[in-house]
Amino acid sequence: MNLKSTYSEQELVFSLQQRDEKAFGYLYDNYSGALFGIVNGIVTDKETASDVLQNVFVNIWKKIDSYDSTKGRLFTWMLNIARNAAIDEIRSKGYRDKQKNQPIADTGEIPGAVAAPVTEDVGLRKVLGKLKGELRVLVDMSYFQGFTHEEISKVLNIPLGTVKTRIRSALTQLRTMIQ
Amino acid sequence: MNTQEYISSGIVESYVLGLLSEEERKEFEQVCSQHPEVQEARTAFELSLEKQAMENAIAPPAQLRNKIFSAISSDTAAPADKTVQPRETPVKKMTNWWKYAAAASVLLLAGSIYWNIDLSKKNKVLEGNYNNTVAELGDLKKDLSILQQNPGVKMAAMNGQPVSPASFTTVYWDTTSQDVYLMINNLPKPASDQQYQLWAFLNGQPVDMGLIEITEKPLQLYRLKKAQQAEAFAITLEKRNRGDISKPGGQVYVLGKL
Repeated sequence: MNLKSTYSEQELVFSLQQRDEKAFGYLYDNYSGALFGIVNGIVTDKETASDVLQNVFVNIWKKIDSYDSTKGRLFTWMLNIARNAAIDEIRSKGYRDKQKNQPIADTGEIPGAVAAPVTEDVGLRKVLGKLKGELRVLVDMSYFQGFTHEEISKVLNIPLGTVKTRIRSALTQLRTMIQ
Repeated sequence: MNTQEYISSGIVESYVLGLLSEEERKEFEQVCSQHPEVQEARTAFELSLEKQAMENAIAPPAQLRNKIFSAISSDTAAPADKTVQPRETPVKKMTNWWKYAAAASVLLLAGSIYWNIDLSKKNKVLEGNYNNTVAELGDLKKDLSILQQNPGVKMAAMNGQPVSPASFTTVYWDTTSQDVYLMINNLPKPASDQQYQLWAFLNGQPVDMGLIEITEKPLQLYRLKKAQQAEAFAITLEKRNRGDISKPGGQVYVLGKL
């Protein structure tokens, strides 16, 4: 009984805030793939990424009342929930333990021979690859690894102001790349 | 304020991607509410980001939808389960009350002992974790200060090669003391009979910079051999105890030019 096949963003948010499971199903069907792509860019292990995505949707359901449309679109809000959950995951002890238990395949030892790649660069990461080295490191550390600007400034020994301006210039370039 | 300059400063993207500090975020929201063109730029970037994410969607496992739905349904159903217990009528037979009381108190005592032991176990685990974290942080701070005190430190970001594109490490090379430090941001754990080796490239030739014993600590800095000159750095995965370690034999995992 699918009375409503599409929602406007306001309708969707309103229905979700009314705890309407049908609207939640619509949200899942339309956005789970995009959010899974975001999570996968940070958490490379598929199984863990799928656990993270489950938490993301449960959190969207629980926190929808705190979504404020004046601060941005619904998708942006969900994207940031997904990114934060993924970063929390890669920083957890459990994830690091899991990573270290994964043996890597012994491939014929021929330099340059391409074994099936473990992960493929997708989404934003792929775009990121087009940035020049230094900017790429900064965006990677801040966006994909969740370091604050202060932490980056300390680790790389670059003044805080420089970190900020470089990240912003990198992001301006990213914008033109994804347009 | 020159809004065009403000818009193209990268602040819009930083805000949307959640990379601003609390204070900067509030400031941006303030500006947004006063300048419609800033808000338009924000929405435009949000839309292109959304489009980009949609185009790069990856289908999650099929069973996940049901798992999520049962998780949220149990969440909503929980508070509704509260039913009021009818008040019990006072027990009329009082003769054996002390037996029940004694039995109940023994149960309570057993429960309390068990609970205490359990709590103390959990406490020990937490304390251990905490001490480890503090120690790790101390090490990291010490390592960082080494780098910070040396303004002549050069950095090379080493990116993953085809065999492991997600790999990423960073080399810090102190050009005055010639010390070389390596930070492993992401490298797969080697099998027990393998280990990584760092190479410096000089005139296109690899020079052994030392074998790497990976520890479990995140963002650990490794000090390797000194380098007088280097154009690039690389890490290969090698067989353990392979004898002559002066030439690389395994595959290149990461590579970075200075």
